[in-house]
Amino acid sequence: MLIRSLAAAVAVSCAAAFAVPAAAQDADLSKAPPPAPYAAVSSLVELPDFLPGLGTLYVDPETLPAGPFLGYDHDGKLSATIYMVPIADLEAGTAFDDLAVGAPEVTSVDIYYNAGHPGVEEPHAHVVLLHDADAKARLAE
Amino acid sequence: MNRRGLLALASGGVAALALRTRPAAAHGAAAHGPVLIEMRGSARGEHVGFAPLGLAVAPGALLRFVNRDASNSHTATTYHPSLFDRQRRIPAAAAPWDSGLLLPEESFEVTLEAAGVYDCYCQPHEMAGMVLRLVVGRPGDPGWEGAAPPSDDLPEAALAALPSVEAILADGPLMPAGLA
Repeated sequence: MLIRSLAAAVAVSCAAAFAVPAAAQDADLSKAPPPAPYAAVSSLVELPDFLPGLGTLYVDPETLPAGPFLGYDHDGKLSATIYMVPIADLEAGTAFDDLAVGAPEVTSVDIYYNAGHPGVEEPHAHVVLLHDADAKARLAE
Repeated sequence: MNRRGLLALASGGVAALALRTRPAAAHGAAAHGPVLIEMRGSARGEHVGFAPLGLAVAPGALLRFVNRDASNSHTATTYHPSLFDRQRRIPAAAAPWDSGLLLPEESFEVTLEAAGVYDCYCQPHEMAGMVLRLVVGRPGDPGWEGAAPPSDDLPEAALAALPSVEAILADGPLMPAGLA
């Protein structure tokens, strides 16, 4: 009885530890446009369709400000998953845990400061997960 | 000219005339055309600002704001109670203006008539210190109203970024650091 309970507890713990949010687990996000609730960032706020360095962005508005934002290249291939994390929130002790990823393969990560833009106006950090070796070049412009 | 919007404002005559244009119009300045003020940003958005961020012009000058930041949208917005309930930081005789968000290469024009100091900001980037101080005419001109004093209404970064009137008059257009 005890062993069975323990096994069940371990199974639950493992499931929680490796849980992937539904949007990333169930939907095909590899090609633009991703399914709802994702929406084009340029349809939500006044920003260009394609942002140099990040691509054509989609986000589930419920996940703002952190995201994930899905970045697609000019051919509609998912190239990056981006998180936008307000500096003040981090300083206040806010954690951003268990964020979804657009694709499981990540070849490199860029992290840098951004002064703000429509949608995430406070100064924040961009955390950019690049999904293949050529992604950065395809998103550059 | 593909005009996106037209906003005519009057205050004791024609105090300001503002209009917003699509990219093509931004390249059509006449020989004695508008004074250009660019909205700039670094490639990854670490730095944003007006260029210049401090400028002296004569009464009646036509200003053209152009967004040169390929990755961002910007506004040129005056501090005024009628715009987002901000404290007034333009001459009382002047009409306030707000360009609205300009996408890359979009532009906005405004004519300034009332003498004095005008402080403006970019709505999404005020917290990052993206502000602009315009000096129209010179101290002592009829109707001159000097700079508004520092206020808690402005974020610290915005207050720190505003150049002094004296520096603008003495040194000419002041360019933002890191956005040459």
